[in-house]
Amino acid sequence: MNILLKSARILDDQNKSLHGKVRDIWIKNGVIEKIATSVTPDSRTKVIELPNLHISPGWIDSSVSFGEPGYEERETLAHGARVAALSGFTDIILNPNTNPVPDTSGDIVFVKKTAAGKGAHVHPLGTLTRLSAGTDLAEMYDMQKAGAVAFYDFKSPVTHANLLKIALQYAQGFGGLVFSFPMDASIAATGTVNEGDTSTKLGLRGIPALAEEIQIARDLSILEYTGGKLHIPTISTARAVSLISEAKKKGLDVSCSVAIHNLFHTDEVLHEYDTHFKVMPPLRTAKDREALRKGVRNGVIDMVTSDHMPIDIEEKRVEFDRAAYGSLGLESFFVILNSIFGPELAVEILTRGRQRFSLESPVLKEGARAGLSLFNPEGEYFISKEGLLSTSKNSMYIGKKGKGRVYGSVTEHQVYLHKA
Amino acid sequence: MPALSVRHLLGIKYLNEKDIQLIFETADQFKEVINRSIKKVPSLRDITIANIFFENSTRTKLSFELAEKRLSADVLNFSASQSSVKKGETLIDTVNNILSMKVDMVVMRHPNPGAGIFLSKHVKASIINAGDGAHEHPTQALLDSYSIREKLGDVAGKKVIIVGDILHSRVALSNIFALKLQGAQVKVCGPKTLIPKYIESLGVEVEPDLRKGLLWCDVANMLRVQNERMEMSYFPTTREYTQQFGINKELLDSLGKEIVIMHPGPINRGVEITSDVADSSQSIILHQVENGVAIRMAVIYLLASQLNT
Repeated sequence: MNILLKSARILDDQNKSLHGKVRDIWIKNGVIEKIATSVTPDSRTKVIELPNLHISPGWIDSSVSFGEPGYEERETLAHGARVAALSGFTDIILNPNTNPVPDTSGDIVFVKKTAAGKGAHVHPLGTLTRLSAGTDLAEMYDMQKAGAVAFYDFKSPVTHANLLKIALQYAQGFGGLVFSFPMDASIAATGTVNEGDTSTKLGLRGIPALAEEIQIARDLSILEYTGGKLHIPTISTARAVSLISEAKKKGLDVSCSVAIHNLFHTDEVLHEYDTHFKVMPPLRTAKDREALRKGVRNGVIDMVTSDHMPIDIEEKRVEFDRAAYGSLGLESFFVILNSIFGPELAVEILTRGRQRFSLESPVLKEGARAGLSLFNPEGEYFISKEGLLSTSKNSMYIGKKGKGRVYGSVTEHQVYLHKA
Repeated sequence: MPALSVRHLLGIKYLNEKDIQLIFETADQFKEVINRSIKKVPSLRDITIANIFFENSTRTKLSFELAEKRLSADVLNFSASQSSVKKGETLIDTVNNILSMKVDMVVMRHPNPGAGIFLSKHVKASIINAGDGAHEHPTQALLDSYSIREKLGDVAGKKVIIVGDILHSRVALSNIFALKLQGAQVKVCGPKTLIPKYIESLGVEVEPDLRKGLLWCDVANMLRVQNERMEMSYFPTTREYTQQFGINKELLDSLGKEIVIMHPGPINRGVEITSDVADSSQSIILHQVENGVAIRMAVIYLLASQLNT
């Protein structure tokens, strides 16, 4: 099917000649055929006209979890990929937190095949160690050949320093990107929320910011010794930003991300013990939030992620200590990010990070493969449970207002659009 | 008739000062009742109360049960070890099953902080928190303040030091909230490993030296060392703990003034407090226990009177 996007305002600061302009974009056989002030399409073209339509090169999210295989009740690959596409994303990096975990090339092939053509491109992560057990390296090279874009024991700290050293050394042979979750397990102990005024008042066990910071300091020291490519996913403290900033100044090949909820909320929202706000790493203080926002603005933080984590109600409608970690994030990602940073920066942020995963970036020019996000940056958007498309409904944003709305995305010849 | 500002007693931090005064005034009347030869009033003849304890308790459970019986309520006791949770039933299901037998009020002890708050959002009954993890134990704090008021005439302006394991203690947290609300000054004392790093955000001071703390205070509330809540060792030995944070007769007599000694029980005699101090005339430990029944009668009575409004 051919597609014509009628009168779309282009947001693409990499493309000075088109940035801010209103154009018709005609997509033929999955390729951008024409960008012009007015295009007359052929009869086999579906014309898309939407109020205040804006487009940008397709968005990417670097930390998304579904559930298949093993936790299909949370979200399946096909439906998840579709939800991602409807949320404006043309690419997502899929976390290796299924059951079994993807620790062989066969597991990577399964994910890629199952998700192919269902929505956003799904780029799986493989585990760093076999069974994510934290002892022996998984077959990283073989998984990378099969399509794994990096290696991560999902939200499990690499406890043994020597294992990280070996992983960073070994992965250099094939340019592999190693993830290390920033938390010292012994300091974090049995904590569930940020250690601070709120945890003290609520009697909840705290995770000191120290737990994150000493792990990052350790990892950066190892990276300095080994060389290689290190990614620190979902940082949450002010000191983490400055540690990574210093490391980058030294020339270390390190990148990091932050979850959108750590830019939006603080731990004060926990006062009612609402398990929707139970996330890992935990929500921190206003001071941390400010430092993280600044880090996003000045580029020390490479990526912002939804850290999308579907959890079924049975694991959330329980006592706080017993509840599972995580919140949905994909569907509200743009409207929340837009409410914090405004559309230009939000779009710039949402297109960051592909290089780090050696992925091709979609570009807005004639002859390029189509990968576009469709949205309206204006207006208020009320996030409701009923409006959520995800299989699970555990969104901490229910009842919140975002700015603008997402219409969907175009991935090659497929267009994914919200109804009405 | 004056009423509480809340429909549940989930923690002291959800109360205001008027609520506390009302509870105390009501407890005064019930204290008089339980010292009569007929210790029972028919106030709650049509009320059924379930005591649901997901964690072991002897004295709190007995105290609640006695308070309920003195008020002529029908009482249902349910002790669930963690094993029933392992069988897969959720807290909401467990409680709703009990409530469907027409129960009006739930007294719950639970190992997880916030469990009562969580439950109050999902079930219909009035909930009394009898201890939720390291969060709150509101009736204990009320009876502690009530006992100070009884002994010293007032809580406002008094200097209270809470000694021991503050980190794992719901009694400490509820006491801090209650004492601050009534205008007392509060310090905490104990090994730094057992003092929450951000405790001063609650408006209390940390006093690392027990002797200095005792010289400062009017009341010392000696907490029990809760070995069962510690997943690791926070101090080398109880012997060393006692050397620094245990109170004995010699220390007490050397202060040159009379202070009130409290303890929420059960006492580890010879650890945080020696027998001669616990049994001394300065100790009001057994008054605390007696007042516990009157306070719990008052709380149950006041919440029950709101059930139909």
